[in-house]
Formats: sequence, structure tokens, C-alpha cells
Amino acid sequence: MTNSMNNVEFVKALVAKNIEPVKTETIGKYQVAFEVRKNDVHHILVALKNAGWIQLSYLSAIDWPEENHFELVYIVMNWEKPVYVQIRAKIQRDDPVIDSVLPIYPGAKYYERECHEFFGVKFPGNPDYEKQLILENWDDIPPLRKDFDPEAYSDRKFPKRVYTTDYSVTNDKDSKLKKREQRIARALSLRGGKKQ
Amino acid sequence: MSKEEIDRKWYEIGDFFRRNSLWLLMYCTGCCAIELPPAMTSAYDMERLGMGPMATPRQADILLVSGYLSLKTLRRLIYTYEQMSEPKYVVALGSCPINGGIYHDSHAVINQLDQYIPVDVYVAGCMPNTESVMNGFVDLMDQIKHKKAVGWKKYHENHDWYKANQIQSLGEIDVHDEFHE
Repeated sequence: MTNSMNNVEFVKALVAKNIEPVKTETIGKYQVAFEVRKNDVHHILVALKNAGWIQLSYLSAIDWPEENHFELVYIVMNWEKPVYVQIRAKIQRDDPVIDSVLPIYPGAKYYERECHEFFGVKFPGNPDYEKQLILENWDDIPPLRKDFDPEAYSDRKFPKRVYTTDYSVTNDKDSKLKKREQRIARALSLRGGKKQ
Repeated sequence: MSKEEIDRKWYEIGDFFRRNSLWLLMYCTGCCAIELPPAMTSAYDMERLGMGPMATPRQADILLVSGYLSLKTLRRLIYTYEQMSEPKYVVALGSCPINGGIYHDSHAVINQLDQYIPVDVYVAGCMPNTESVMNGFVDLMDQIKHKKAVGWKKYHENHDWYKANQIQSLGEIDVHDEFHE
């Protein structure tokens, strides 16, 4: 078995043989990332799978609102040559569509549904991608987009407790300290097992 | 003695046995559930208060909500609460059911449990000590003794108000997912 640095070089050579990555980043001994064009994603994933990267560990998206795109991240793992390979691809934020990788990695089914639910990315080719998975009866924009305001949603949707007294100030008067000691003694009296 | 007085006496006797043999249904939604193993095992030994875990909602007395509740779990919690036989009590652990706690601005987590189902005892803390948890159980026994643990009656009296709150936050209480259809 080759050592791990050779494994990273092996992946780099494999990717360079198949496509032309926009950017290559070696994160560590066991991780390497490639930024590829949207059209190359399926090509490179097929090549990696044939070379032994048989497990799709994760598929998710990152929202970049200033640059107006989503960055999809596919993380694949090979159990013979222990290297995590990240394939990143940028897609338009206004119309986020990318073909499903279901024929290559059947395990992508639920990741794609999750990604659609939280970011609104569409995955044609996956028959179930529009079904709800985690959120139920969601009625707003997808919640992990950066322009979604969770606090405003929470204020609108869930009743808040109203406090008439401010309990956060601690009072160190003698009478209060005595009460506090009584409380501690009560708590200790409830403790089972060996008495200290 | 009149019939009402006799009934009340019998109910008090029933309460005596009830509060000394409470069965918990542990709805371990959040991180406060980690306080239950020490409370149940030899360190604090819940059994000496006559309490024990129960597997099904129909046979349990206490619904123990330990920690935050997302909308999805709240839907199941209401199902569970309505399945329990009366009298039933609710104990909520941690600051999340009280006012949202560290999840007060989350899109998925509710802020105040007593808007949806009546809560008899809150145990504050993030997370509460096991002493506080035990104290909460003792407080619940005191409340049953003094006939103050009447959350399940309030749920009957204010049923419309609770249902309106549930629908306002949940949209729909029925569970529709691919595993139940």
C-alpha cells in the first residue's frame, strides 16, 4: 500500500487526466479539494467512483449571496486509499439547478432532498427531491439561505414569554445569602448515596 | 357524609397512592436527558421516591420533556400527551421550554411550552443539576398533595385556546410524512 501523500498525488493526477479543475487545494494529508465547473461534476464523480471513491460522505451547499451563487460540495471517500475528495461547483443563485447524482451514488437521494429543503437547489433526475424531509409544512424561503432571518421568523411564529421583573440582577444582601444557603442545604438533603 | 364528600375523600386517598408511585414517560428531546441516568441510578435513586420509567404513554403519569422542542417533535409530543390517561402531569426540564433558552431565535425551536400544553413543574437551568431535577419531582408530589397539579384539567377547560396556539405555530397538528402513509 502506498503512503498517504502519494494518495493525494494519485487523486490530483486522476483529476487532471479527466477534467481541468478551476482550483486545486490540498487541505491536509487525507483531504484534497477541487473546484470544478458545473458541467464537469458528473464526469469527475464517475471517474472517482471507478477509481475506488465509492462512498458519497456528504453533499451540501454553501450560500454566497454577495457573489450570487451557491457552492455545492460533494465529499467522496475511498476505503482503500484513505483520502477525502471534495468536489466543489458553483451554480447560479437565482436559478439553482443541477442534475442529480443519483445514478452514480444512490445514497445521494436524501442529501439532495435535504439540500433542496434548506437551500432550494433543484435536482432534476431525483424523483423525490421536492418531498419534505426534515421541515414539516415550511412556509417561508429555505431557512439556510443567508437572507433568511431566523429571529424574525421565530418572533412571528412562536409566542414569547413576557417578563415583568428583571431576574438577572443578583442581590448579595445578608437575608438573600441566608435563603441561598437554605436552598443549597435543601438540595444537599435530596442527594442520595453517600453523605459527605 | 354526602356523596360529594365521600368522593372527595376517595380521590384524596387515590392522590396519596398516585403521588407515591409516579411513572415517568421520558420524552428525551434534548440535552437535559443526560441528567436522567444519574437521577435514575444509584447516585440519586429515583426509585426511593416511588418513581420509575414507563415505556408507553397510556400507562404513564408524568410526561417528562427534557430539553428543546422543535416543531417536528412538538407535533409528536401533542400526540403523546393526548394519548396519556388522566390524571397526567407534565415536567419540563431546562430553560428551552421556559423561554427558548439558547434557541430563542431559531427557526425550528418553539419558545414557550406552556402555550401548547399545560406544564405543572418547570425545572430551570441549562442544564439543571440533578438535585434540581429531583427537587422538581418532589415539588410535583407536593403539588399533587395540595391539589395544585391541575394542568390536565386546564387543558380541558381551555382546550380551544391551546388548540389555537398549536395551530398558529404548527399550521397543522396531524403528522403527514412518508413513514406514516
